[in-house]
Amino acid sequence: MARNRPVRFLASLLALLLVPFFSATPALAGVSQVRLKLPLKPRLPLRGNERIALAPFLIVADADRARDKRLQNVDLQAEFHRFLKKQIDKKTKLEVIETPPDLKLPTQNLSELGRAAEFWRSVGILTAAEIVVSGSLEFRVEDRSGYKTEEYTSPINGQTYYRQMYVEQTGFVFDIVFLVFDGRTGEKILQDEFKDFRQTGGRRADELQGLFENLFSLENQILNLFVAREREADRYIFSD
Amino acid sequence: MTRPAALVLLAWTAAIGCAGYSHTEKAKSQIAFGSEVARKGLWREASFRFEQAIAKEPNNARAHNNLAVALEATGEYARALAEYKRALELDPKDTYIRRNYARFAEFYTSYTRTSGKAASGS
Repeated sequence: MARNRPVRFLASLLALLLVPFFSATPALAGVSQVRLKLPLKPRLPLRGNERIALAPFLIVADADRARDKRLQNVDLQAEFHRFLKKQIDKKTKLEVIETPPDLKLPTQNLSELGRAAEFWRSVGILTAAEIVVSGSLEFRVEDRSGYKTEEYTSPINGQTYYRQMYVEQTGFVFDIVFLVFDGRTGEKILQDEFKDFRQTGGRRADELQGLFENLFSLENQILNLFVAREREADRYIFSD
Repeated sequence: MTRPAALVLLAWTAAIGCAGYSHTEKAKSQIAFGSEVARKGLWREASFRFEQAIAKEPNNARAHNNLAVALEATGEYARALAEYKRALELDPKDTYIRRNYARFAEFYTSYTRTSGKAASGS
């Protein structure tokens, strides 16, 4: 019995030392991830039921790109207008008005377009719109094919090597500058730019599909100009 | 030391210990409840609970972090920023707080940039 005493003492001591260790472990585990829906206020100070006129956008294209046959198949102005009208109709209470098809922009320079208050006031009167939207659009299809370094594990000797692989890829670049004008005064009330880049496998990826990939990824940001939107985000919270 | 004096000293130490423990425990229970309702999406209630926890224990970095998240969820971004900063000040090494703050800073920078533009109309 007496010989067991030191053993029992050591066991008790060990137990005492381990108690704080185990009681501290749940504290480290008391973290959880939560998904937030962050409210984003609309960027334009609107009531929500205004009449909004969609004027033509400037199409930005340099000489080389203008000759690109793949882009000639895409009517950027019409596709973008159709997309914007559909989104605004579906997700806001704004009344969308198309400007007359023969409406010509007074300049092909974006800065000058932003300062053409008299022109925008006349568009506002013509369409009886409180807000007029215009800006510029740029869409590019880029051949991103090329050699890329890839890790390779040999099935024969199990060793890892690096090899050069030719990868065919197409990049779609979309750049929109929004100019928003007060239909009564013609003054610019907002200017903002949205960019998106998508890359898909294959050299001959469809350009129209690429355009809509770009547009759908920018949808939330574009609509946030006119109405409140939400953005998802993950955060950690502690539970003890 | 005489036996009664030793007893008085022991009781006093225990009382002080219990008082501190009780504050910590109250803060912990508020954090626990707050995080439970936060996971159900009741962010206003969660925010209130985390504020209560901070009132009990002002230097609790975890409570400040949780309050920041709750404020973010309700769109009070400027206050959330202040709470994240306080949480980091209290516990600069906590990985989760640092990660939250980094993600929030990225969002908030873009948010204020765009809101500022809309306001100025430039």
